[in-house]
Amino acid sequence: MSQELDLPPSLRAEVEAARRQVSLSPELEARVMATVRVRAASPQHRAWRWITAPSLPPWALLAAAAAALLAFVLLRPASVGSPGVASPLATAVGPESIYVRFILVAPNAREVALAGTFNGWDPTAAPLARADSAGTWTVTVALPVGQHQYAFVVDGRRWLPDPAAPAVDDGFGRKNSVVSVSAEQRRIL
Amino acid sequence: MLAMVLAPELAAQGDATTRLAGRVPPAIAAAVTALADSARARGLPVAPLVDKALEGVVKGVPADRILPAVRTVLDQLDASASALRATSSTPPGDDAVEAGGFALAAGLTPGDIGAIAQSADRSHSTAVALQVAGALAAMGVPRAQTVGLVRTAIQTGRPVGDLVSLPGQVQAAMAHGAPPAAAAAGLERAAAAHQAPRPHGQGKGQGNPHKP
Repeated sequence: MSQELDLPPSLRAEVEAARRQVSLSPELEARVMATVRVRAASPQHRAWRWITAPSLPPWALLAAAAAALLAFVLLRPASVGSPGVASPLATAVGPESIYVRFILVAPNAREVALAGTFNGWDPTAAPLARADSAGTWTVTVALPVGQHQYAFVVDGRRWLPDPAAPAVDDGFGRKNSVVSVSAEQRRIL
Repeated sequence: MLAMVLAPELAAQGDATTRLAGRVPPAIAAAVTALADSARARGLPVAPLVDKALEGVVKGVPADRILPAVRTVLDQLDASASALRATSSTPPGDDAVEAGGFALAAGLTPGDIGAIAQSADRSHSTAVALQVAGALAAMGVPRAQTVGLVRTAIQTGRPVGDLVSLPGQVQAAMAHGAPPAAAAAGLERAAAAHQAPRPHGQGKGQGNPHKP
């Protein structure tokens, strides 16, 4: 009430008009609601709702952004010989190469290495570093564009295929894992 | 002229000898070098043969099992090159031959190699198509589905990034419990539904005759 008293006389008529209840004809309401239902059920509208619905908590979005940043860093082309490329494989790769991170969970391993066609199957060329107390081992190497076969060498004697990659027979009764690096999209198969 | 003809063979021989020296017993090195010479004379890549010999030695495989494995790789490269030559008038590149050899090792046939090579075009190289096919086969996708999925992805004009991502998508579906065949079937349906317009002259069954 006190607000009404504060209103200037020129606006009181507008406020009174706004307060009057507007009643629509039943036919108009039916047509409007029918249109709304059709639009709400359309594939475009459902896709838009799926995109815009706040279904992820903020931390998930931050995690996704961090993952995208990590992927960008890992998959960017390696410039051979440039400062900061400390990989022991740097001298063996061509101008078109991609950083690839390999991960193996081996809680009981004392040491893990990566050997494959990209390093002449040298089990000392690419040792993995233990990343946590759960036994996660990782190494990031620059791989030339193409297809490569590899395996992990655990404690210098056990050859293990990568459980996260396709594998083929190695011709010796074991399996080799396969990684393919494409120049066009800088993607990993 | 003779020097120009022999230069690549001598270079390949030298490369194989250098890579094997000191890492492989002399008898195996000599036999692998001879196989490498034979491969180069037939226009086949040599590196996979040397890689297989090194792999066998490093893995501690007895010498009498290393040479048969190297010969198997040579046979696969030979079959791959033959299948690729049958689909194109231009000699296949080493990368395509190697990818075909890998696809054969993964379970595809020379006929499959030819079918995939025929569908390759300027946007989707034969080597990449065969690498994808080999990876799918290695993951357990049945042969016919592997060929169908790769060909469909190419013929419907999917970007090469989509083609390259197929094994990863199959792997993701398998991680959720889908069998490889079911995962590939779903992707093939999706690829078939994606009928993007193709550039003029690159319709179905009109692979690029000058593909690498």
